[in-house]
Amino acid sequence: MGSNDEPEEVPRRDFLGMAVGGSAAAFAVAGGYPFLRFVDPPAQQPSGPVNIGKLEEFPVGSARTVVVDERPVLVIRTGDGFRAFSALCTHLQCVVAYSAERNQIECPCHRGIYSMDGRNIGGPPPRPLQELSVTVNTGSVIVSAV
Amino acid sequence: MSAARDDSGGWLRERLGWAPLTAALAAYRIPRGNIAFYLGGTTLFLLLVQVASGIMLTLYYKPDAAQAFRSVERITGEIEYGNLVHSFHVWSSDLFIACLFAHLFFVLVRRGFRAPHELSWLTGLMGLVLGVGLAFTGDILPWSQRAYTDARVGSEFAKYVPLVGTWLNRFLRGGDEVTSNTLVHAYGFHVAALPAALTLVVALHIFLLTRRSTPVPEEASRETIPLYPDFFVRQAAALTAVLVVIMTLAIFFERPLGIAADPRLSSPGGAMPPWYFLAIHQILRAAPTELLGIDGARFLVSAACLLGLLVAALPFIDRRGSKATAVLAWVLLFVLILLAASALN
Repeated sequence: MGSNDEPEEVPRRDFLGMAVGGSAAAFAVAGGYPFLRFVDPPAQQPSGPVNIGKLEEFPVGSARTVVVDERPVLVIRTGDGFRAFSALCTHLQCVVAYSAERNQIECPCHRGIYSMDGRNIGGPPPRPLQELSVTVNTGSVIVSAV
Repeated sequence: MSAARDDSGGWLRERLGWAPLTAALAAYRIPRGNIAFYLGGTTLFLLLVQVASGIMLTLYYKPDAAQAFRSVERITGEIEYGNLVHSFHVWSSDLFIACLFAHLFFVLVRRGFRAPHELSWLTGLMGLVLGVGLAFTGDILPWSQRAYTDARVGSEFAKYVPLVGTWLNRFLRGGDEVTSNTLVHAYGFHVAALPAALTLVVALHIFLLTRRSTPVPEEASRETIPLYPDFFVRQAAALTAVLVVIMTLAIFFERPLGIAADPRLSSPGGAMPPWYFLAIHQILRAAPTELLGIDGARFLVSAACLLGLLVAALPFIDRRGSKATAVLAWVLLFVLILLAASALN
């Protein structure tokens, strides 16, 4: 048996280097994964239908912005009934407002315009407003995600 | 009396190792008239000013959505010199970002990113990203209607960043929506995570600079001055002027708070992001709905991110530092100023 068959010796310094490097990598993975999971906030669960007030608080032709699931929601009462939309502009999420004067929904940030059925009809918004369902139950106005 | 004073100074100098320290600093030479070095020193000084004034503000600030605005109102309206400290902090933050941009810009046009300064360039850019993060999170803290809108629009920008956009958006908001969690996140980042990261990056940036006897080898043949005392004295004079400017701005140009955040109120008309986001804001405002079959805003933000990556990789792309790079840098600056100006109209 020649010396070629003997296992190659790893110098002590290299071995220690590999051990330290390996341990550091193991610690990085063991600590990194929980860290990333911890800093990723949990998804928000919708709270279900929300009572936003009494029917008489919403005169015909008026609009009000209420907060549902921590999101602003625009509730408009027309002669035909209620419409509710997410009040977040689909352009850059500024909060939109109802203009009774022009009978349309407007984003004041960058002059985005939506029709009364939430369609984007002017300015930079790329999509219609998200619609929510509104029901009236025993005199209370209830909003819930569609 | 005089001898006693000298002895006392000598005692301190001996313990500080003053003579070898000043000798080492004097041996380090800076090209005369290179504005990038003065801007670098000024940026570091402004960071320290912000840390000091920021610590003072934390004595009264309350990072809670229900109390934040009132606490800032109290700082600016009821605490003695509170308005000055607040205004000083905000103005020094604006000047910090401006000096950081200018520092990197002059390094770019002087092609100071060339070997062996690749790591200095990269740490400088990391400092810029962290500095903008610091300014942006600070902008949210008053939890005014403007801060609320900025938090919304700013985190919406982040959504368009390729690959990590959705994660970044939720991370910045502390959830799916802009809520009190967003404020707590911004506070944590503003007072702890970002300053700690920026301190490390700045320390590394300065450490890398001291690894060479002169920071710009190709300028060594030009006239140089020793770092100590010549550069230090000039820098001290510049910093005095900067302090006077900040004090003047803080005293005569207050930063109004506006009204408290209320998600039920529509966003302020013509809402503008902080000035350092004006160019990207204008790009998004003018973006067509679709570009090459992709959402227009996503397309343009992706292009801006790609441009940022190219700038970061400059030392490896343009190894010799061609003059065309300097010309392109001036053109880019001109375009950014033009975009920012058109955003204001």
